[in-house]
Amino acid sequence: MSEQYPALLVIVPLLSALVVSVAGWVNKRWCFPIAVAALSVSAWSSVGLLFRVLNEGVIVYKLGGWSPPMGIAYYIDYLNGLVLPVVSIVALLNLISSKRTVEQQFPDKTGPFYTLYVLMVTGLLGIVVTGDAFNLYVLLEIASLTGYGLLAMGEERAPLATLNYLYMGTIGACFYLLGIGYLYIVTGSLNMVDIARLLPPLYQSKAVLAAFIICMVGVWLKMAFFPLHAWLPNAYTFANSASSSLIAPLVTKVMVYVMIRLMLTIFTPKFVFNTLAVHDAVVWLAVIAIAMGAVLALKERNLKKMLTYIVVAEVGYMVGGAWLGNRAGLTGAVLHIVNDALMTLCVFLVVGNIVYKIKGYAFGDLKGLFAKMPFTMGAFVIGALSIIGVPPTCGFFSKWYLILGAIQAHQYGFMVALLFSSLINVVLFFRVFEIGFYEPFSDHEGHEHHPAVMAEAPLTMLVPLYVVAISLILVGLYTGDIVNHIVQFVIPKGFM
Amino acid sequence: MKIIGLIITVVTGALLIYAAADFPAWSDPASPASTYLSPHFIEKTMEETSVPNIVTAVLADYRGFDTMFETTVIFSAGVVCFFLLRISRREEEEPETRYYRHVLTGVTIQLKEGYKMPPSADFERIDAVWTPPDLIIKTGCRILIPFVQLFALYVIAHGHHSPGGGFQGGVILGASVILLAISHDLRTAVRRMSEKLIGILCAVGVFIYAGTGALCLLLKQNFLDYSALAGVLHVDPITARSHGILIVEIGVGIAVLATMIWIYNNISSAGRYRQGL
Repeated sequence: MSEQYPALLVIVPLLSALVVSVAGWVNKRWCFPIAVAALSVSAWSSVGLLFRVLNEGVIVYKLGGWSPPMGIAYYIDYLNGLVLPVVSIVALLNLISSKRTVEQQFPDKTGPFYTLYVLMVTGLLGIVVTGDAFNLYVLLEIASLTGYGLLAMGEERAPLATLNYLYMGTIGACFYLLGIGYLYIVTGSLNMVDIARLLPPLYQSKAVLAAFIICMVGVWLKMAFFPLHAWLPNAYTFANSASSSLIAPLVTKVMVYVMIRLMLTIFTPKFVFNTLAVHDAVVWLAVIAIAMGAVLALKERNLKKMLTYIVVAEVGYMVGGAWLGNRAGLTGAVLHIVNDALMTLCVFLVVGNIVYKIKGYAFGDLKGLFAKMPFTMGAFVIGALSIIGVPPTCGFFSKWYLILGAIQAHQYGFMVALLFSSLINVVLFFRVFEIGFYEPFSDHEGHEHHPAVMAEAPLTMLVPLYVVAISLILVGLYTGDIVNHIVQFVIPKGFM
Repeated sequence: MKIIGLIITVVTGALLIYAAADFPAWSDPASPASTYLSPHFIEKTMEETSVPNIVTAVLADYRGFDTMFETTVIFSAGVVCFFLLRISRREEEEPETRYYRHVLTGVTIQLKEGYKMPPSADFERIDAVWTPPDLIIKTGCRILIPFVQLFALYVIAHGHHSPGGGFQGGVILGASVILLAISHDLRTAVRRMSEKLIGILCAVGVFIYAGTGALCLLLKQNFLDYSALAGVLHVDPITARSHGILIVEIGVGIAVLATMIWIYNNISSAGRYRQGL
């Protein structure tokens, strides 16, 4: 059984998505349980895979029984072994939590919604698990297409915002494909490990240089790295809450994973940091990304949109960390993929709960929320502290590694940007706390000093939220183990 | 803003052309793409899969996993169109007056105040803005459609030997039903293939593909390793690969057929399923 985990991880959700789709026509009540069961199998397989990687090292799974350069192979090492459980568990928790919102927001379309949801998770898992550069693109298509569909369902402005995303996302995916095409022309192979083996004699080739540049730009577009971020805030803000809390934590993080995979496996650090030597410039771009994300977040008077700008800033953290080109920076970036997925999920689930109860997420709607929804806001405090980077939570540790990396690489600009954005985050979140705690609750008719009645979200929404909130602290406490047993093996030899 | 866009486009284009200078020469037999993997496919395909058409073998067997997800992409497109566009019965206000047309005589009846007519073969429901389909077009299409469908089946079945396969055949099949919807009206096409049937067929098509793969898994081989089907099909493992490809091509055909019609129905009628176009 366990040797089939790599296939089960992706195939079970794929088959289940089809079953969910049919169940949507026959009996809608079956859709949710099937989706939960499918993602549970994925989560189980991904955790099983992680343990197999810890025991046995790299796993190669040949699809169709064809050996790698001919056929497609799955390739699981410490890097995606760590990212896979994060993706599947985040998706599962969000699915359980969003059952009520989905039924509230589009009662007639639960069937297609769950179909798209499970397909999207299939796509994301497939991107992470694959060892074939073209297979990655096909799965990227699935994740993007279903993502557009999920995000476009929402407020009045959601379709337009998603159309923007569609244009930008399609250009990004095309760039990636073009880059892979260039690599295929000069090497004749699509398998990542195989390309890496064939590339070294071609490092001076202009085609390889162009392939690297367009692949990177494509991936940056998909992850909303600063100058290319314009599509993200609106697309995520106006979408329905179940979709935005799936897509905000996962899509950008999975794309950061793809970037690190491109840098470490396909092009190898030797090419990226020695032959190319543009890493200082990229780190400075990351500095601007972090600063602009923080400043733009400060401008917003709307909780969900503020959080989307924080996502933009966090992308800067990870890109900068990966491009510092030293051990600490890369450790921080990989660790931050895990931590940021959990933190973003936590705060977006909170927004989901608030929207479910209050039907709004502007700052004005948050008045007196600590009295009205104390448990939800309690989890929000944990999530916020983690994003700020307060010690026992996991956000502190990845930020600490990033700062350490910045100092070792003498990139003091990056260090200052990290500290600056932490300070801005303090302002951002304490402003929300202040509104929620001190300003009296007012309902939509404008009756001031309305006595706050506790109206907490249902238990099915609170339990997943608290699982995430507690995991923020647990991941923080076990950071040492994660780094010693997993992340340090991600870093290639020769890194300082 | 336009100037900036222009500059970016020109710079990107220039970069791509600059990089193309290092490409191997056009149709160079010594280029990596033609010396690395292609010889294996050209020499071994018949031996390993017993499929004469190399493209089909690469598409559905060597890289069959990609093709499965390409089919899934099409399926997702269909579901997304339905998810975003379809206006559910609950949201849609039922029209106060309904129109029915007597098929033989062409007499139109108007029923007011929400009255409905029991379903019968003599009357068909029409919309307020209804134009009778042109006789020449209608008859022409009626004659054409069966041949289109026959050709589609040929394209699917003959993918092993000539250009073709599930995607192309499925599109032609879908086009035949869309032709019916264009030449008659949407209601006629929906009567032939109901929305529910299309929705289920879409999923069934992809399920045939992924299910074949999963069956290989259950028969103790890797996912999509068609040689595992040898025991089930009572043939040798190499021929089983050829048969496996045919099975998944049929799945692709069904999925593409249903998705084409589904997308057409949802877009042409803006999700209302009344009058198309």
